[in-house]
This record gives sequence, structure tokens and C-alpha cells, in this order.
Amino acid sequence: MDSVGKECQDLKRKYDECFNKWFAEKFLKGVTEDPCTKLFNVYQECVKKAIKEKNLNLDAIEEQVLGTSKEKQPPSK
Amino acid sequence: MRIWNSEYTFNHNWDTVVTASWRKYPNPHNTSVVGLDVIDRSVDNEGKLRSHRLMSTSWGIPHWVAKFIGIQEVCYASEHSIVDPKSKTFTLKTRNVTLANIITINEELVYIQHPSDPSKTLLRQEAAVTVSGLPLCNKLEQMVTDAMSSNACKGRQAIEHVIDKLKKEARDFSLEAQKCMDNVLPKANSL
Repeated sequence: MDSVGKECQDLKRKYDECFNKWFAEKFLKGVTEDPCTKLFNVYQECVKKAIKEKNLNLDAIEEQVLGTSKEKQPPSK
Repeated sequence: MRIWNSEYTFNHNWDTVVTASWRKYPNPHNTSVVGLDVIDRSVDNEGKLRSHRLMSTSWGIPHWVAKFIGIQEVCYASEHSIVDPKSKTFTLKTRNVTLANIITINEELVYIQHPSDPSKTLLRQEAAVTVSGLPLCNKLEQMVTDAMSSNACKGRQAIEHVIDKLKKEARDFSLEAQKCMDNVLPKANSL
């Protein structure tokens, strides 16, 4: 599976591998300590940069748009 | 607003289904998902795993068509999820990022251990679609909910596909392990 940033692909693959193993073998069995933090942080740095470059504003989507003045208005007749 | 919902039972236990769900993509049953990134993830003080992911999907239309009708080729959706291993509940809430000022698609998936059979998993799915500010709003909402209904079916097939794959991997692995043991044991016996 691809990352939003092509340059993050390899970092994502390494992190996913670590996470999937930890999730199935540890987390579901009650171990909450996450051994993948280091891999996650490097991958994160890359992804956040890629998101910024694509001008995706992730904070904006958390806010309510429809039903407010920010909503797209119907065309006037 | 139009609401759509459905329920489905997997003949696999909750641990299996939830593990497969994290490994759902890439998947031949749903090729429109082209990217998936974890934006944030942590285990909270109640032992629940909280994740925020960004999903990239393609419309499946040619590049020039997307340009012509003025939409982005790749759409983005934001997904917040919580895995509670104690109550065996996995909740995912997804919302569209692209075209958010025209349409809101809120989807919620809940995977729980089947109340009467722990070897099974129940999936409850609900979506609310609101289209605003466009002519034919109702028609559009209907079109989106119809599409969700057919996609939900693909989503379940996708999970079943991953479970099959994981089981096969486990089988191959145990065969491999067995082979290793076979190679070791005769030597051990001859000592």
C-alpha cells in the first residue's frame, strides 16, 4: 500500500510491518508498550511533510462545514 | 441527509477480523484505495489503541477526465479509530476531506465480538450522506448511498480475502517450521 508521499514508502512499509506484528502478537494479548515508536516518528516526519506539500489541511476537516456559513450556497435563480 | 446501514457476521473470531482489518489494503476487492497513512497513533491510559489515518482513493477515471470536470484525481478521507481489546470493540469513523464543502459522508464501522457466539464477529455499518447547495441534492444523496451499499459488500469480501491470506501464511509458516524440525531431529537422534 502506497503512502501519500512517494518518498515515505519505505519508511511506511517498515513501520507497518512492525505495527502489524506488535498488534497481533502483543497488543491483543494485553501488552500496551509499543516497540515501533522510533520507526513511527521517522515515518511521521516524512508524511507530515508530504501532506503539507500537497496543501491538505487536516485540521480543517475536523470542523463543521455544512449547516454553517462556510457551506457552498445554491445557485441563485 | 440520507442514512444507510447494514449488519454482517464474520465466521471468524474478533482478534482475527481486527488483525485482518489493519492489513485490508492493498486488496483486489477494493482497488480504489491507493494510499493509506497513519497520521497519529497512541495507546490511551485505558489501554485503547487510538489511530488517525489518511486514506487516498482514486475515482478510477482517466487523468484528462478528472482535469476536464475539475476534480482532483485523488480524493482524501480521514479515519479515526479505537480498538478496545477488553470489550472487544473496534470502531472506525471515516469522513471525506475532498469536496467537504459540498458533501459530507460520515461512515461508522463497529466490529464487536458476536454477543451469542465468541467465535464470530459482528460488523455494524452506518453512513450518513449530506449534500448541500447543489441542485438535485436528494438524487445525489441517493446515488452516494447506493454506491456505499455496493462498496460495503466489497469491503467484507476484502476482509475475508485478507483472513484467507493470513491463514495461508500461518500454514506455510508452520510447514516451514516443521521442515526445519525434520532437518534437525534426525541429526539430534543420531547423536
